[in-house]
Amino acid sequence: MTHTTDNAWEHPEVQLAGGGYIVAFVVGLALMGLSLWMVRGHVFAPTGLAVAISALAAVAAFVQCVLLLHMTVSRTQVWQTVALVLFIPLFVITIGLTSWMFHGLYRRTMMMPATHVARPATPTRPRGA
Amino acid sequence: MLVHIDGPWSPLLGRLALSEIPYNNPILVGTFVFAALLAVILVGLVTYLGLWRTIWRDWLTSVDHKKIGIMYILIGLVMLFRGFMDAVMMRAQQAMADGPHSAGYMDSPHGYLTPYHFDQIYTAHGTIMILFAATPLLVGIMNILVPLQIGARDMAYPYLNAVSLWLTAAGAALVMASLFIGDFAHAGWFGIVPVMELPYSPGVGVDYWMWAFQLSSIGTTLGGINLLATIVKMRAPGMTWGRLPIFTWASLSANLISLSTFPVLSVALALLALDRYLGTHFYTAGLGGNLMLYNDLFWIWGHPEVYFVILPAFGMISEIIPTFSEKPLFGYLGMVLASLGIAGVSWGVWLHHFFTMAASPAVNAFFSITTMAVGIPTGVKVFNWAFTMFRGRLRFELPMMWASAALFYLLVGGLTGMMNAFTTNDYMVHNSVFVVAHFHMMLLLIVYAIFGGVNYWFPKVFGFRLEQRFGKIFFWLFTAGTAVVFIPMFTLGFMGMTRRLAYVAFPQWRPLLDIEVVGIVIYLLSAVFLVAQLYVSFRDRAQNRAGLDAWETSRSLEWMTHSPVPFYNFAVTPEVHARDERAWRVEHGVDTVRPERYEDIHMPRNTAIPLWLGALSFGLAFGLVWRMWWLTEVCGLAIFALIVIRSFDRDTDYTIPAADIERMERAIRDVPSGRPVVAGVRGAVPAFRQGV
Amino acid sequence: MSVTTSSTLDAKGSPMWSSGHGHDVISTKTLGFWLYMLSDAMMFTALFAAYAVLGHAFNAAGGPWVRAVAHAGVAFQETYWLFGSVLAYGLAMMALKKGNRGGVLLGIAAALVIALGFLAVDGREVLDLFRMGALPERSGFLSAFFTLVFYHGLHVVVGIAWMAVMLVQVASVGLTEKVVYRLLNLRLFWHFQAVMWVFMFTFLYLRGAIV
Repeated sequence: MTHTTDNAWEHPEVQLAGGGYIVAFVVGLALMGLSLWMVRGHVFAPTGLAVAISALAAVAAFVQCVLLLHMTVSRTQVWQTVALVLFIPLFVITIGLTSWMFHGLYRRTMMMPATHVARPATPTRPRGA
Repeated sequence: MLVHIDGPWSPLLGRLALSEIPYNNPILVGTFVFAALLAVILVGLVTYLGLWRTIWRDWLTSVDHKKIGIMYILIGLVMLFRGFMDAVMMRAQQAMADGPHSAGYMDSPHGYLTPYHFDQIYTAHGTIMILFAATPLLVGIMNILVPLQIGARDMAYPYLNAVSLWLTAAGAALVMASLFIGDFAHAGWFGIVPVMELPYSPGVGVDYWMWAFQLSSIGTTLGGINLLATIVKMRAPGMTWGRLPIFTWASLSANLISLSTFPVLSVALALLALDRYLGTHFYTAGLGGNLMLYNDLFWIWGHPEVYFVILPAFGMISEIIPTFSEKPLFGYLGMVLASLGIAGVSWGVWLHHFFTMAASPAVNAFFSITTMAVGIPTGVKVFNWAFTMFRGRLRFELPMMWASAALFYLLVGGLTGMMNAFTTNDYMVHNSVFVVAHFHMMLLLIVYAIFGGVNYWFPKVFGFRLEQRFGKIFFWLFTAGTAVVFIPMFTLGFMGMTRRLAYVAFPQWRPLLDIEVVGIVIYLLSAVFLVAQLYVSFRDRAQNRAGLDAWETSRSLEWMTHSPVPFYNFAVTPEVHARDERAWRVEHGVDTVRPERYEDIHMPRNTAIPLWLGALSFGLAFGLVWRMWWLTEVCGLAIFALIVIRSFDRDTDYTIPAADIERMERAIRDVPSGRPVVAGVRGAVPAFRQGV
Repeated sequence: MSVTTSSTLDAKGSPMWSSGHGHDVISTKTLGFWLYMLSDAMMFTALFAAYAVLGHAFNAAGGPWVRAVAHAGVAFQETYWLFGSVLAYGLAMMALKKGNRGGVLLGIAAALVIALGFLAVDGREVLDLFRMGALPERSGFLSAFFTLVFYHGLHVVVGIAWMAVMLVQVASVGLTEKVVYRLLNLRLFWHFQAVMWVFMFTFLYLRGAIV
């Protein structure tokens, strides 16, 4: 609306800003650095490493969501947080189910020797046959 | 980088040349002459009546959610007609091209359409019906109703609302342009890869399809954001979540779907565009691409889209049935949870569109079970509607007829859907016309709800009721047509007829195909009565004027403002006290309480920028289709510039003084409106809590 | 089941029409923009899903695979440029909290310059890969890889353009309601792409060093 008060910046959403931004910067960089160090030094076996860096990414994303994007349940932010929480299962479903179905598909149709496939393609026998 | 295409190309016109205009195809020439005549008549009529100024000032540049909704519905109706004509052509072709001895006309070996032309027609039919008929019709209805039902002045972002409309219009215009300039895609409405890839479809058809889809997808995503923010933030005081009208709940669920899935469609199409323009290998058969990836991404959108269109339809049925049963809706909470449940489950079923992909049995079983789970919330809804009608004082006026007939089609479509959910069964009927008949039942249920909704809310939007006699003839003919076309189609599916046949090899299917033609003729006949209904309603509009509550037993907030709704919706924002506010006020005898005091109202100013953005998007897409790079660049830059320029515009709103509001309100009140009070029972006792 | 609990209300006594009802423009705008960002997150999700499908060795079709194209060290450089820009924008928001126009301008200008630094590193990396023959049209794997890289890069470019516009608006118009909600929306946009970068860094670049 055209009639604005002189101090629109006093809106509660503006007032959310704070030192959390600096914390997010430090923590985010530290976590990413830790991931890099773990990967460089091969501190775990590949599978463990993948789990570890995924976990660190999740922590970093969570910290950023809370400190940078202010995803909290306070009065001003609650709908933003609700929307995000509703979307997270969709992110998981999209990537998870897609990976799952293509994993099966590749295992059943790609006959080439592929290093990444967990198990080599074996002809499946119908049960009870 | 940019893929080189053999063939003529000029810097000015790109791939466009005179030979791309199908002037030698009598069907298209005939269509063109018809469209051109219609355009000339319309332009002449508008000029004769001196309406150009009104159209520009009050409609094309409007940011009013009701007018935008009406324009959405007009686009939807025009495209519905176009999609219907495609259906007529397909039925005619299959009836003619039957058996090796069937005659061929116009360069076609059998029937009158060459296979390539036939393929374009079914692609256009599907694309149009889903994206440019059902979606705009429902988005339009949601646009009109949601702000009224929650007591808001407008949508949360009126300007963005207009942008969404014009993006959709640009997409529809692109589909229409493909009729007369170049051709359309020939690989089905959902696209078959790798047929959609450049080596197999070097023409512009796929590009038309792709960019029209993309524009509509962006428009619908933005529209979804708008409706969600409106419902969350713009509710009138007292409108708690527990009091939200059921149609608004349905819209909320539907737009959660549109917000979350249309982006995936955008990605699926963008990756196809990258393949076609830049030579990447997302969906190619070789070089590390995976063509099933396209199906995966497309149906992640595609199946939830079905629920995106069906949820508002359910919402409309849920509003119509209580009004004409003169009872509150049975099981409000169950209905809300069912809507949200359908939206949630819709996210986990998409693989059932390609059960035959060769995914592992566990994957197929998972998606089979989730698909059957859709039946649970849908069943809850059906029983709630039935219990709403149970012991109600039923009145079969037109909206109620459409709504209750929709339940029958829901039953047929839903049960055949359950049959398809069984993987084993799906292997048998996959790609057969059985599946086609199933989803037509579901989509026709939506059409039924739309016709019911249009009849129901028409007086709210235009101030007079639609005529009933021709309306009822239209209803019965339409219903007969539906049965006669689609029951034989189920049978043909069981007999093994696959979909998309330009030539029917088995003469024993002929009788059933001929019956389908009879059905489509009944449909054509019904359209005549629709036109008659609209004409008579308009002619007799003075007699059919409606008051606040056109049906006298309506329940929700939108029936508390004038019919037609003034541009500011409510002169003063209502306080909401109950779930069915209108019915509550009638019951407590406070429905005639008028505001004591009026206040200034802030309204957004009309602007032509959304219209320009739509036109420029059309130019951008058209340039991409024909590879006229200069057009694409100019339009792209202009879009960016317009957005920036608009952000510097400080004068986007204005204020209507309270005195003006009061004057306008008095003027509306002084017009003798509303039907004369009917003697007898109807509407006199709102039966507010009867039977529950 | 009761239809409504409010029938106990005294209908005649309660107000039928509300007065002085207005809605909070700033938080309506930011909610809508956040919903838009979620739809954008869905696009990232779809691209990540495509990458999950096309990220296998055989999707490289004999061309360079992830080990050859994903350089974790360079990506970490990009990370601190990007997070630095995000921090600078955060400092601009802290200045906005006090209505300090000069501070806002300074913070956004710093964020813009640092973001250009990110683009420089990112751009050089991509050009090196192109020179090496790792082009998006080489294989399905590289198509998915580069599409994610470019889609994130597009966000940075759009962010930079938006910051430039906001610099002009803050300087010329001042901290009006419209400018303030745009600054808040830009904050959401800019901080959101940093969250996406966390996943890019982990699943695109670090993965190269694991497999």
